[in-house]
Amino acid sequence: MISYLIRRILIAVVTLILITFVIYGLIRSIPGDPITVDMAQSDPSRSLSPEDRKRLEKIYGLDKHWTIAYGQWIGNLVRLEMGQSISRKLPVARLIRDRLLPTLLLSVSSLLITYILCIPLGLWITVRDGTVGERALSTGLYMLYSLPSFVAALFLQLLLSVKLGWLPLMGMVSDDYEQMSLLGKTWDIFKHALMPAACFTYGSLAYYTRFVKSNMMEVVRQDYVRTAKAKGVTPVGVVWKHAFRNTLIPLVTLIGLTLPALLSGAVILEQIYSWPGMGSLFFASIRERDYPTIMGLTLVFSALTLLGQLLADLLYAVVDPRVTYS
Amino acid sequence: MLIQINSSQRFLSGSFGRECLAGICLAVCLLSAACEKSSPDESLLAESASHGAEPAEERETLIEPFDPPTLEELDAQVTWIDKPVLDAMNVSREDQEISGPPSATVDEALALRNDSFDANATIVDALGRLPADDQAVNWESQFLRRLEGDVKSTNPLMQSSTVESEVLKYFSVYLHSYDWNMKPFGNANYVETWQTSEDGLYDKIVLRDDMVWSDGEPMTAFDVEFSYRTIMDPAIPIPAVRTGTDKLRWVQAYDERTIVYFHREASATNVWDMWLPLVPRHIYKDSIAEDPTLQTSEYHVKYEQLPVVGGPYKITRRVRGQEIVLERRDEYYMHQGQQVRGKPHFKKLLFRTILDPNTALLALRTGEVEECSMTPDQWLGQQPGDSFDKLNIKASGLQWVYFFIGWNCQSPFFNDKRVRWAMTYAYDYREMLDVIYQGLYEPCNNLFHPDSWMAPDPPLPMIQQDLGKSVELLRQAGWTDTDADGILDKEIHGEQVPFEFTILVAQRPDRIKCCALLQESLDRIGIICHVRPVEFTVLQQKNRDHEFQATMAGWGTGTDPYSNENIFATEEDRNYGVYSNPRVDELFAEGKAMLDPVKRAKIYGEIAKLLYEDQPYTWLYFRNAFYGFNRKLRGYRFSPRGPYSYGPGSDSLWKSAAAVSH
Repeated sequence: MISYLIRRILIAVVTLILITFVIYGLIRSIPGDPITVDMAQSDPSRSLSPEDRKRLEKIYGLDKHWTIAYGQWIGNLVRLEMGQSISRKLPVARLIRDRLLPTLLLSVSSLLITYILCIPLGLWITVRDGTVGERALSTGLYMLYSLPSFVAALFLQLLLSVKLGWLPLMGMVSDDYEQMSLLGKTWDIFKHALMPAACFTYGSLAYYTRFVKSNMMEVVRQDYVRTAKAKGVTPVGVVWKHAFRNTLIPLVTLIGLTLPALLSGAVILEQIYSWPGMGSLFFASIRERDYPTIMGLTLVFSALTLLGQLLADLLYAVVDPRVTYS
Repeated sequence: MLIQINSSQRFLSGSFGRECLAGICLAVCLLSAACEKSSPDESLLAESASHGAEPAEERETLIEPFDPPTLEELDAQVTWIDKPVLDAMNVSREDQEISGPPSATVDEALALRNDSFDANATIVDALGRLPADDQAVNWESQFLRRLEGDVKSTNPLMQSSTVESEVLKYFSVYLHSYDWNMKPFGNANYVETWQTSEDGLYDKIVLRDDMVWSDGEPMTAFDVEFSYRTIMDPAIPIPAVRTGTDKLRWVQAYDERTIVYFHREASATNVWDMWLPLVPRHIYKDSIAEDPTLQTSEYHVKYEQLPVVGGPYKITRRVRGQEIVLERRDEYYMHQGQQVRGKPHFKKLLFRTILDPNTALLALRTGEVEECSMTPDQWLGQQPGDSFDKLNIKASGLQWVYFFIGWNCQSPFFNDKRVRWAMTYAYDYREMLDVIYQGLYEPCNNLFHPDSWMAPDPPLPMIQQDLGKSVELLRQAGWTDTDADGILDKEIHGEQVPFEFTILVAQRPDRIKCCALLQESLDRIGIICHVRPVEFTVLQQKNRDHEFQATMAGWGTGTDPYSNENIFATEEDRNYGVYSNPRVDELFAEGKAMLDPVKRAKIYGEIAKLLYEDQPYTWLYFRNAFYGFNRKLRGYRFSPRGPYSYGPGSDSLWKSAAAVSH
């Protein structure tokens, strides 16, 4: 098990180097640099002179070839430094530290909610296959799956904030957050997180529920299930003990694939909800060509994705006793 | 399932050695590259370390050596002419008095729906007024504003975007201001007297003696000189703020209140060159040597978060990417128990960063922000009786922001001005104004708005679509359909080239439609036009690198027409289309040197005429400013640079003590 872990971690490090190398090459090849955006946004009376532009390029290291700049970035990373954000004038590590928790709050809670809900829903529609209730729920799930999250986000804002006034429109905390008790603060964040978390969740919930159902439908046709039924096992026992456990492995596989999807979803949803997470920072950084921040976020996103995949592989052994890594 | 896992394990085991080897090789290469050179920041710090032992005044500088005369020598040598020193609020108030009483009461204006030019004029006239007296103002109120992007730095020297200037103007100190006509004057909040030498080479400013920074230290002329020197320090990553300041020869503080600006030449633009933001010398004089980035050291990070300021407000809270809270500084308007300046109208300002324009509009509806710029679609989308009206009212104003299609004058298609004129005649302006922009925008045919002092007199004729003229001009320029394939062509360098080009445009639906309109018209006369929407930053870089045939973009107005030199003079930085006309270059130089405003206006009018004749751009429209304001707000007035960017601008907004929400 230990040797397997070490092997996976080593491969993850190599993968991370390759990912960051390719991404750095790509972002440096896209037209525009951090100064381009600054110049476009500045007062027309105060256009940056070519001499000052060259000075800034030198200061920010933009005058060097991207392979050398990438080498410097990796060198810094080995010394546990992610560099300085060009546009935000802050260390990238600090920027990410401030933004990591809000993003994880949404993505992890969304992942948990998805898994907690998709299993009973999936089992229910398997058991009720062909009934009106199952058809209605399945149709609803298809509709949810095909509804873009940014459209749903706007609808929810209009309904729950503007029309009904039940939930805050945006942000992560209220203006008087600092004056609240611990319970009040928790409740405040919960209220703010509800809409974005719902938007994060419904698509994957619909997909996972359908996934559980289709896997279950395949498994319930197997001989051993028929045998269990013939032996007089109760319908719940058949579904739960004999059928469902065999659908767990592909479900666990999805954990590793869901995390990147959640993180990429954060890019748009965080912007709509003014949620101060890594997604909105990523979006702004790409537009600003803030290379150090883009690289820092790419690294964190990639590491989280690889971590998710490793976790999924380890969970195989938990859900299936036949799998062993020793 | 078991087989699947095993094969997965085999894959991992089999490829492990190869992958690791490749990874290690790559890592070694990269690390060795990294070791060759330290990071950009570190190299900068290493460079700055060499300055560390030097006193701040002896650091490397972009200022050329100069030995300034003593003040006595200067006073004996030159004749000083007094220049206006004004309180922007009083200027605005006097202007309102001259214009007479408003055309409607506040209640009448608030009862209107802003669905016509007349209704808009009435609303802005009635609600845009300054308070009649102090009792009218709710001095304890807070103003909730929307920010379209994050404020990346609170240091006025480091500001690079209009978003930052929106916030920083509330706590930054500028010794000059300008009114809604962009006429400059000394800022009476900080300046006692301002004089210019008769030969135009010197400006002398005497500061008021009742100014203090937010940490209680007095603000002096030495802060002005220090700010100038800091801006001219090449090790500091100063963005566009240095532009203009670098035209000054020298800035000298003679005592705590007297500062003299030395110019290289007499110029109408000298006043704009003196436009520099002030930073407190006592905070930065020793720390810059240690950290010239002004953003890395703990010390600078602390002042970046909560800066020491001299303006009417100070920052009390800043959560990056979310909000900034400013509070009124009592020591700004009170001095030794006396009120010495106008009291800022709001006790508190809260800026919320809302990137998404739809969310911003919803926030306006729920009252989470009290002002927000609107897109034309949002402006038209607010229906009678919807929730928008409960809290808000719309107001619009003309802006001198024009949009155009720029032609690359080096391209074989557009190096002939007859072809550029053919493009201009091919455009369907009516369709653009009436259908795409639904009558909200004004047509534009040159770089100056007809209301501006520098607009050509008489006005240049507006152009209407005329495809017949287009075809004729193209024929004269040699573009005909020789091979009868329906596409115009021409022999260029011995090769028959079809007229097929691409127009770059930002990914904005309305602008894409504007380009598609040209595409449709050109299709009718045998020209293939491809419309290529690209990301904004890509568009900027392509334009800067002249890597386009045609591009759609827009320019806002500077405070002075000389800023257009940068756009239209030969080989200038923002001359994306590589346009060149020696006479235009000469006129820009003349316009800068000319001190007589009437003659100066004629020079810029002549420039507009020449540009009109050459058509480096096909000018399309002036983009108006559309805003939603909370019904409690008063005092908004639109300038050519929007409702905020002038004196008093954002300072003139206030909330009524009656605080009646209609």
